[in-house]
Parts: sequence; C-alpha cells; structure tokens
Amino acid sequence: MTTRLSDNPTTRLSDHRWGMAIDLDKCTGCQACVVSCHAENNVPIVGEEEAAYGRTAHWLRIERYWEGEYPNVKAKFMPVMCQQCTEAPCEAVCPVYATYHSDEGLNGQIYNRCIGTRFCGSACPYKQRMYNWFDPVFPEPLEQQLNPDVTVRSRGIMEKCTFCVQRIRRVKEDAKAEGREVTDGEIQPACAQSCPTNAIVFGDLNDPESRVSQMARSSRAFRLLENLGTEPGVVYLKGGETRV
Amino acid sequence: MQEKLSRRNFLKLVGGAAAAGTAVAIPVAAKGVGQQFVPYVKPPEEALPGDATWYASTCRMCPAGCGIMVRTIDGRAKKIEGNPAYPLNQGKLCARGQAGVQSLYNPDRLKNAVKQNGRGSRSFEPVYWDAALDEVLAKLDSVDPSKIVFYAGTMPDNLYYLVSEWLTAIGAPAPVIYDLHAALEGRAVSLQAAEEMFGAAQMPVYDIANADVVLSFGANFTETWQSPVAYNKAYGDFRGQAGGRGFFIQCEPRLSATAAVADEWVPIRPGVDGLVALALGRIIIEERLGTAGTLGQIYAGMYRGVDVPTIANAAGLEIEQLHRLARILAEADRPVVIPGGYTAGQTNGYGSYQAIQALNLVLSRLGRRGGVYLSQPAPAETLLTMPAPNSFADVQALIERMNAGQVEMLFVYGANPVFELPQAAGFKEALAKVPFVVSFSSFVDETAVQSDLILPNNTYLENWGYQVASPGADRPAVACQQPVVRPLYDTRSTASVILDLAHAMGGAAAEALPWGSEMLFMEDVASILFGSSLNPYTAQTAGEFWAAFRQHGGWWSDRPLQQEPEPVGLGQRPIIVTAPAFDGSARDYPLTLYPYPSVVMSDGRGANLPWLQETPDPMTTVAWNTWVEINPATAHRLHLKNNDVVKIVSPQGEIEATVVEYPGIRPDVIAIPVGWGHEDYGRYAENRGSNPIDLLAPITDPESGALAWGATRVRIERTNRTHALARLESLHGEGRESLS
Amino acid sequence: MSDSVSRIKKSDGIIIPEDVRDQLLLTTLSDDELNQKMLGPMQKTGPMFWTAVVVLAAIFAWGLYAWGYQIYWGFGVSGINRPVYWGMYITTFVFWVGISHAGTMISAVLRIFKADWRRPITRGAEAMTAFALMMAGLFPLIHVGRVWKVYWMIPYPNNRHLWPNFQSPLMWDMIAITTYLVGSSLYLYLALLPDLGMARDNSTGWRYKLYRILALGWRGTEPGWHKLETALGIFAIVIIPVFLSVHSIVSWDFAVTSQPGWHSTIYPLLFIIGAIFSGLSALGSILVVVRWGMKLDFFLRKEHLDNVGKLVMVAGLFWLYIWFASLIVNWYGNMPVIRELMHDEFSGEMAPFFYTMMIANVVPIILLMFRRVRRSPILLLILTLSVNVGMYVERFLLVSGSLLRNYLPFNWGQFRPTWVSLSIVAMTFAGFILFYMLFTRLIPYVPVWEVKQGRLRYGTRLVGRVQVPTITQVD
Repeated sequence: MTTRLSDNPTTRLSDHRWGMAIDLDKCTGCQACVVSCHAENNVPIVGEEEAAYGRTAHWLRIERYWEGEYPNVKAKFMPVMCQQCTEAPCEAVCPVYATYHSDEGLNGQIYNRCIGTRFCGSACPYKQRMYNWFDPVFPEPLEQQLNPDVTVRSRGIMEKCTFCVQRIRRVKEDAKAEGREVTDGEIQPACAQSCPTNAIVFGDLNDPESRVSQMARSSRAFRLLENLGTEPGVVYLKGGETRV
Repeated sequence: MQEKLSRRNFLKLVGGAAAAGTAVAIPVAAKGVGQQFVPYVKPPEEALPGDATWYASTCRMCPAGCGIMVRTIDGRAKKIEGNPAYPLNQGKLCARGQAGVQSLYNPDRLKNAVKQNGRGSRSFEPVYWDAALDEVLAKLDSVDPSKIVFYAGTMPDNLYYLVSEWLTAIGAPAPVIYDLHAALEGRAVSLQAAEEMFGAAQMPVYDIANADVVLSFGANFTETWQSPVAYNKAYGDFRGQAGGRGFFIQCEPRLSATAAVADEWVPIRPGVDGLVALALGRIIIEERLGTAGTLGQIYAGMYRGVDVPTIANAAGLEIEQLHRLARILAEADRPVVIPGGYTAGQTNGYGSYQAIQALNLVLSRLGRRGGVYLSQPAPAETLLTMPAPNSFADVQALIERMNAGQVEMLFVYGANPVFELPQAAGFKEALAKVPFVVSFSSFVDETAVQSDLILPNNTYLENWGYQVASPGADRPAVACQQPVVRPLYDTRSTASVILDLAHAMGGAAAEALPWGSEMLFMEDVASILFGSSLNPYTAQTAGEFWAAFRQHGGWWSDRPLQQEPEPVGLGQRPIIVTAPAFDGSARDYPLTLYPYPSVVMSDGRGANLPWLQETPDPMTTVAWNTWVEINPATAHRLHLKNNDVVKIVSPQGEIEATVVEYPGIRPDVIAIPVGWGHEDYGRYAENRGSNPIDLLAPITDPESGALAWGATRVRIERTNRTHALARLESLHGEGRESLS
Repeated sequence: MSDSVSRIKKSDGIIIPEDVRDQLLLTTLSDDELNQKMLGPMQKTGPMFWTAVVVLAAIFAWGLYAWGYQIYWGFGVSGINRPVYWGMYITTFVFWVGISHAGTMISAVLRIFKADWRRPITRGAEAMTAFALMMAGLFPLIHVGRVWKVYWMIPYPNNRHLWPNFQSPLMWDMIAITTYLVGSSLYLYLALLPDLGMARDNSTGWRYKLYRILALGWRGTEPGWHKLETALGIFAIVIIPVFLSVHSIVSWDFAVTSQPGWHSTIYPLLFIIGAIFSGLSALGSILVVVRWGMKLDFFLRKEHLDNVGKLVMVAGLFWLYIWFASLIVNWYGNMPVIRELMHDEFSGEMAPFFYTMMIANVVPIILLMFRRVRRSPILLLILTLSVNVGMYVERFLLVSGSLLRNYLPFNWGQFRPTWVSLSIVAMTFAGFILFYMLFTRLIPYVPVWEVKQGRLRYGTRLVGRVQVPTITQVD
C-alpha cells in the first residue's frame, strides 16, 4: 500500500505527499483533537436538535465501537477525518471542481466554488464531508475568536478536514523564505498538535525517513475501507494486545 | 499625463479631509467621557496586522494548570495550544483547555460590576466599580471579621496568596475551598492521605509512562482526573515503550473512557476498591508472589485479618480473578497502583485510598521509576500555594454557621456551590440567611443569582497569576499566567480587587498586601524564583528574569528532579477498610448511582462553552444533554430502551434523564454525567439536562470528611416520554466497527 | 397486428379489422367534423376545471414560497442530513425524468415501428414528456445549496479559465436533460404545426391570433408536408438514443459511486425500463382523465386504453425481471452492507416502503393481463396510479433508502422529510397537472392530422369485382 502511494503519478508531481498516521493503541478518545479542530478551522456549532439529526459539523469525529457483551465488553476509539484519498471518490463527481486533488496529495475543497450539490458527500464512503445546512452563527463577541487564516463558510456548501492546509502553507512559505526544506514534524495540524497521547502524527509520506512513513510501514498499519481502493492518506495503526 | 495639484484642488482636498474629520470627531466628542481619540490604524507596538503573536500563559480551565501558548492576531485571542516547554503538559492540551477562548469571548459574560435588585430576581443593575467597592468596604467595616467567609473553588496560587494574607490581616477565617471538580477527583483525600502516609501534603504523581503494569481503581486519568493532559501524555508513552505496550487494568463499576483503553476492565461493586486492594496485598504476601511477595513480608501486619473469600464475595469477583490480578502485579517489573476519585467518593474512601496506596509500598514502588512520586512543593516557602481543599464536612459546618446567622458576609470565587453541592446539604437555603453575598463570577451562574453584588473577574486569558503544578511534573515547575489580550469589558481580576480592598481598608490589610498592583506582586513572585540554581533560562537581572518568566510561561528546573515519598504512616498497623454504606434501602432503591465528571463538561463549568456542549462524549457520543447509562439487561428488565426519558429517584430527590443502553456498566449501577442541569450560567448552559448531584445524599466518609458522592442508591421510574439525544453514533449501527 | 388480422370480420362488403377501425377512428365523419370534434371540447371549461386550476395554482405558489424559504434559510429546512445527503428532491427528479420517457416511447418508437394505433395519443404523450422534463429540470436548481451560483455548471468562457468538470455525472445529466428537453419540445412542436394551422383556420378572436403566431404560417402545402414528414422521421430516430442516454445518465448519478445500494451495473437498464413503466402508467392515467374531462371518447377509445394497458403490463414485466435480476445478484452475493440494506427493506425501517412498492407495482402488472381490466377506464386509472406510487417509492428506496446505510455502521442515517421538501415536491406535481390542463385547452390534444393520415392508410379498393382492404404506405 505504502509503495503504491509514492508510485502513483498524481503524488509524484510534487516532493510531498502529506499523510497522517494515527496510533489507535494510544488514542484515549479524549476529544482534544475535536475541539482543537473547531478552534482552528472555524467549524460552526449547530445545537442539540440539529446535532441529533446528524448535522454536526465536526471535521474530525471519534468513533467508538463496542465489542462483546457485559462483563467481557470492550470499547475502541477511532478518530476519523477526511482520509485525503489518492483516488478520491468525491473529486470526480463534483460538477464544478470545487473539490480537487492538489499536487501534494490533498483533497482540496474550494468553498467559494462550491454550489452545494452534495454529490461529493454522497460519494464519500467515509461520510466525512460536512454540509452547511444553515449560515453559521457566532453570537458576538464569539466571532472575535475566528481564525483569520480560514474562511468562514456560508450556508449551502460542503466543508471537510483540510489537514490544516493553512498551517502547511505557512510552514512551507516560512521555510522557503529561509531558503530551506520543510523538516519532519514542523507541520502540525491542530489535531496532532493538541493530541495529548501523541497518537496523531502528521508528515510527508514521500519522505521514507519521516515519522509518518515509518509508522505507515508498521505491521499494525491499515487503512480505512482499504478494499474500496481509495488509497487514503490517513494510516491507522491498530491497537495492540498484551498477554499476561 | 501629469496633473499638477492646483491650489484650488489642494484646498478642496484639505477641506474634504477636514469635513470628514469633523464628521467622525463630533459623535466622539459628544460622548464626552474623556475617551482618547486614537485611530484604529495605529496598532499596538508588538502587533503586525495579520501576523500572529504568541503569549505563554497558564490554563485555568481546571486546577491542573497546564502551560499554554495563545495565538493572538490583531489583539484577539485565536487559538490556545499547549506550551511545548512546560514540563507538565509538554505542548499538549485537552478539549476543555482548547475551549478556553470561548470563555473569553463568551456572549454571556458579565460586562461590568452589577448589583442585583433582590436576590434571585435575575434583574441586574450596572454599578461603577468604585461604588461597588465602597459598598463592600462599608460592609467590611460594619461586620465582625470573624463572620466574613471567603468561599472559593480551587484557585490559582497567586489569588490564594493574596486572599489568605488579606483574610489573616483582617482577622477573618481562612478561605473555605471546595468545588465539585476537586471532590470528584478526590483532591482533598489525596492530599490528606499523602500527609498521613508520606508526611507531606503533596499530590502523588504516578509515573504511568514508565510502568509496565498499571492498576487503577476508578482513576479516570485520561478524562478529567487531576492532571489529565499530563496523564494522557504518560499513557501514550506507556503504550509506546520500547519494552512492550504494558498492561493496564481498571477496576471500576463502569467502563469509563479510561477503562475503555485498559487491557482489562474489572467491574467491581461500588465501594469495594479498598477491599480488593487489601485482598491483592494479602494474596501477594501470603503466597509470596514474585519479589514483592518475598520482600513485602515485613508488611504482613497491614493485612492481618483480611479474608480473601469474603472480599471476593463482596466485590462480586471470583477468587481466581483476584489471584490472577495479584500475580500480574507481583510479577511485573514496574507496576503502579492508582487510587482514583471514585475510590475517595465512598463512605470508606479514606481507608480504601490507604489500602490502595499500600500496594505501592508492598510492591516497592515508592519513588521508583514507573512508580509513585510526590509533587514538588513550591521552590520557596514564601511562595504560598493553595493547600488541600476543604472537606465536605467543613462545608457542612459552614452551612450550619450560615444557618445559625454566624456568617454576615460571604464572598464566592471560582465555585458554584448552589449547583455543585447536593441539594440536601441545604446550601441555597443557608445562603438566604447571609446578609451580604458577593460573587466574583464572570458569568451569572446559580450562585451569582443568589448574591447581592457581582464583581466579575476577568477570564484567565486577561489575568495575571502563577501556579505550582499539583500534581506536578517530573521536576519543580511554577507556571506563569499573564494576560494575552486586554480585558474585553469593564471587569476586574479578583486579585486586583482584593488588593484594592486591602489598600482602601488600610492598617494591617494594607501592610499585608503592599503591592500597588497585581503585576508588581507578580514581579515580586518572579524575584523569589530568580536566583534558583535550576533556572531553565539565563537571566542576569531580576528584570530579565521577570521578562523570561513571562516569555517562557513560567519557571521550571532544567533537569528532572523528583520527590520520593517516605512511607512514614504505613507499615505494620492493619489497614482498616470498612464495608461501604449507601443511602437508601436496597429494596426501594435497587441501583447505585455513579455520577461521573464528563470529559467535556468537567463538573459543569464547561457547560457555557458551545464547543464543549457540541463535543460528543467519547463513550456514548452524546452531546448537549444529560443521559443515564443503564446496562442493557437492566434496561430490558425495566422495559426501557434508548432515548426513553426516565425519572431517577433517590431518597433525596429526583431528576429526569434520557436512557442510553450502555453495555459497559454493572447491571446494579447506573451512571449519569455531571455538568448539565444548569438553571443559569448563560444561553448554552441554561435549561439543558439535569444535575445528578441533586440526587446525592449529604453523607461523608467519617475519616476524611469527604462527600461520599458514590454512595447514593436510586430507582428508575418510567415517564413514557422519549427524547432524541444528540448522538454522533447511529443507533442502527449498534456500535459495530465494520460489517462482517 | 396479427392479433387484429385474425379477427377480420366480413360484413357489408367492408373488410376492416374491428380493432383497427376503432383504433384509427375509421368513421364516416368528414374532416371538418373531425376538426370540430377536437376544437369543440377545447373551449369548454366548466367550474370544476377552474376550481382545479385555482387549487393547483395555489399549491404551486405555496411550493414556490417553500423554495424561497429554503433558499433564504439554507438547506437545513429540507430534512436531509449526513449521510442522507440526497432525499426527496433527487427522488422526485428521477421520477419526473422517468415519466418523461413514455412520450418518446409512444411517439418515436411507435412511429418507427409503424404502430398506427398510436396516432390519437401521441400528442398527449409528447406533452407529458415536455412538462415532466420541465418539472425534472427544476430539481437541479432546487437541489443545489447555492442556486444563485448554479450557472457555474455551464461551460462559459471566463477570465479565470474555470471550467466545469466533465467527469461529473451531474454535468452529463445537465447536458443530457437539456438536449432531451429541447429535442422533445421541438418534436412536440413540429408535430403540432398542421393542427395549429387547422386550429387557426377554425377559430376566431384571441385564439386565432395565438394560433396564427404559433402555426408559423403553416399552409399544408406539399413541400411543407414533405419537410414535416422528413423532419419528424429524423427526430423520431435521433431522439431515441437521447432518450436512452438520459435515464442511463440519471442512473449513473448513483451507479458510479461506491455507495452500497447505488453501485450496480444493471442500473441503466433498470432505470430505463422503470422509466418506461412509470411513464406509460402516467400516460394511462392522463388519458383516462382527459378523455373523461374533455369528453374525448370519440378520439380516445377503449382500444387505445387497452393498448396502453398492454404496454404498461409488458413494460412492467420487463421492469420486474430486471429488478429481480438485480435483487437476486445482491441477495446471493451476500455482501455484508448489501445484506444490511436488504434486511432494512425486508424487515427493517424501510419495510413499509418496500412492501408498498411491491404491491403497488406487481398487482397492476397482473391485473392488466386481463382485457376487461384494460378496457375499464376507472380500473386502468387506479392501476396506473398505483404503478406511479410504486415507482416513486422504488426511487425513494433506491436514492434515500440506500443512503441510510453505508460501510461504516457508526455513520448510518435517519431521514424525515419536512414541510418544505414535501411542499416543493407537491409544487412540481401541481405544476405538471396545471400546465397539462392548460395545454389541453390551448392546443389540440389529439393530432387530428395524424388521425386523418391514418384514415388514408386504410381503405378498400375494387379489384375486379372484389372489394379488398388496402393499406397504403404514406410515411
């Protein structure tokens, strides 16, 4: 799988293929990443009724799975965000190219190009595209918190995890201004930065030495719905087991 | 084509500008309150428009006091990150810490000091600060100082410093420190036990990161317990150790989010934690399991009279299971045993706490890598730090005094006792008998509604402060809190209000608090730290140090330095753990209530932040409302299903909540998250869910005086109503990971 | 026709198959009388007609208000959510595109196959196509979140060099439906010309002025007829691939994704045949109502209803076959997520819809096998309406029902339509009926010239002393 990513011609256009590795053995479901994402990306809140009707806007959600029955019951956590697929099902179906593939392997979402057909949302097997059902509300002075690097989305358009593209760009531009390469670990999306257990690691999958590449080569590595052939840029490391 | 600026055009331009200038200036002048006419185009010196400025400060969303970096742009706080240099949280931050900006920019903040037209009327009149302080001073003058009470939640050390000095100077009793968060995490019990067992009232620190076996009794350290970011970080390291991913056992009646990441969950009965610990110790010593079994023989006296089969029976466990756990512990290289908040929240909490801590002694884990340390105290004795919170028994004593008319004036800071204390304790009724109540709350919470005057504190992002990490990191550390934005409104930090009051009172009070402003006080604090040999940064002068102290977000040792606990109070004396007692008869109230702190709401202080309201609970994925977790078998027996609204009745009261069938809970226990059920506290918190604390009986552990918040029995009654909870998870998916 | 030929009767020396006689309206009426029989009912509008117009217009206006409400407040008022991103609108869109298919089926396919009985009902079918497509064409507008930006789907030159994405099935959709709408409208209009001329020549007042403009100077000259016949012949052939492509493309809106329940290779066929099934049924319902409302028993005879009923029945059997083929493959494939979907349909949340669809679709297929049922207008009306209910539900199950389930059970969905989406859906039904009603009063509903042309084809001729039936090739 890993080799396929770097072999793919769409990812070879650039030096980078941004990817993320999430060690499920470390995820405690603490929700720090979820709130961090809200804060960084101006993700609106929708209220109880809308949330109960599947309209929360979390770009990042922690899925919790139950296994077994009491008393031998276990629960597992899995943070799921846009998987930044190499062969993204959402991209082909957008009639206006509001979602597109960047040469660094990201699924870009151009908010002001989106006309809101929700086709991408239907095509996404991860159901990880969020629609703005209403205009977002930020009662004064909550709007003062809004991150000026990220657009506030109006009603009627799709949004999703961008791997904090604004942070990627800032680091790249800073590195360029200083005439150097971006170093591994320099770019941190909001979720990875806050993750208290360091379960989320971000980096360049094209760099075989990067931490994310090393994690992607782990024997525990898998990708979500791998059989669909979407070749996600998010790699999960499945939880381990200790025998005593 | 170049056009010369003719005289006429020049005059036109100037005239136009002048006209525009007047047009703008007139309304400003008309206001006439001496505002400076500073154009918006002139930015603050350090701020470039559009460029982020980062300020290091300290998080105050819970008592842990993590180091933070706040990103500000154009004078507005945008994002809070962990301070990577601060040894406690090492650049990480939790959900509640992230949401701190929403308390700063909360639409429901009080914008100025207000006076209430009759308590409970919720009709507030703005007052000038000077007038408000005059009123407080007049009252302070007229009442007997011994009848002044300062009621506080866990507060930053700087405020404790000022408040306690001030109270001492005016002859008032020491502040009563109590809040629900501290009660749920067993802070007071931890400190009391540490003092008795280790001779130092410092919070124990459990080195999970380097342990190979972790046995926790209800310590929800990945959620809210004591220092969740530090412990989460440690948990991540625990799983990533080179020698293997460790083995983690959680004993708790409910599969909490912490238990969910454990390798083994042992659903013991409520209140038997200490008994199980005794049994484990007894087995290790009696059967000489591992090295601990051999070396630990000197501690055999602690386990005199412990009967393993009886305990197994009481705990609802098989004897074999206890043997297995004992073997795992004894054969581990670096095991650690953690007593949690739920342990302390029982009528036998203190004994249990000791029994659990004693296992660390038997296993020789005190002061060892992967074992138990004590938090480092303040690096200088002159640097006051907040002591152990008061016990619930102390609060009950206060309530009695209030009822007896022995409290004439009550200050409330950082706590919301009307919401947080069990209704049956009668705080609200007692409050009505206090002639003058002053609240320092930044929001109109339930207690502020019952006060005469609200002197709103700044939010922590607008305030100064310092805090000695407790529980601490692997080294001494003092976090520095500084304003990252100018105060948004006409609010004042409580510390500066205390200083103002002391100065105005003159005499002993003014002498005790000689600082002209809280910043000068903070400079003094920095100068105490300046000169320590452990400095992480070089500073030649006190001024340089003061700057570095703020820039780095505090002071800490440049190398690890850990305090080893001395087992002074443990050894031969048998440890007594009584059988747990519960309020309510088992016949009328067949279920035991487990009210637990929600990972997003904490004890309810997060309820006014929309991000936290919308963040799903990790286990149930519910947001925005209160639910009650019921084992599916129990639910089936009671003919209940998901989204049914039920009435939960205890001998003390009743509340309503919506059913969540929860596979990870004992069938004889139900769990309700704490945090919702506010009557006041802003638009996001009000009239949303219910407060399980209302159900609790005001019973205490007689040894520690702590509230036995896990010792109330309840029953469930149907209402035949349903409510669609905001669950992120699809109920049809039945919690499955994938389809196969 | 073999069926008809076998029942040729000999009487009074005129030997014409009875069915053919009825189907072709071989009466002794003169051309003028025929004209009057058509033009007469067009001018009769009773109170019931106007009551219906007012009610329908009110529903339509209410739907427009609901649409405005949705545009103003946001799509949240429409009742869809994550993951059910497509709900009533797409369902109804597919439904209307399906309805539109019968018109082409009747007039183009039957024209090519020289099924002469089609003549009196072609116009009604073509009008149905045009109006159904208009209603379908509203949905891409209704359905997008920012309708004010919908022109970005059009490949117009702009200084940013932004182009629409021709990979997207929605682009194919837009192109195919526009083509189909233009093509079928032209086809409808071309075939109207001789009748508009006829109407012009037989009317006065505002109607005369209207028809004079609409008839584009049709005089019925020989070159005129020749060109018309050529054009119609070309259109009839060209429109068929368009007609096939439209519903294939609509099916690809779903089938190209990996969404369980959507992803299937058989969907183009299923959609086309389903479209013909529901479209013919709609035509059956309409014919019965128009025949009753305008008293067009002379033109629309039981023989026509009988034939439409047969077509419905045959299309239904085809649909059933393909639907079953799709079902059994999924059933035996037993893929977990498909199994969940089927479980949901057979015995879960969607079971009421599933069994409604089964009963509403299959019972008419069976009953329409009987001649007496087909020839009873009221039974035909009930059964064809039933088919349309069934086919609507089938589309709903396919579009929204599938979206309730996906590969990640954590993210399964729920769906409750709101007053807004139901009002907008009702608006298109009201609009369709309203426009169709007005159409019947403004445009000759039966193509009189085609009827006359049909009469010309069949005649008798003396060969020696024997009078023999003749069929003349006219087109």
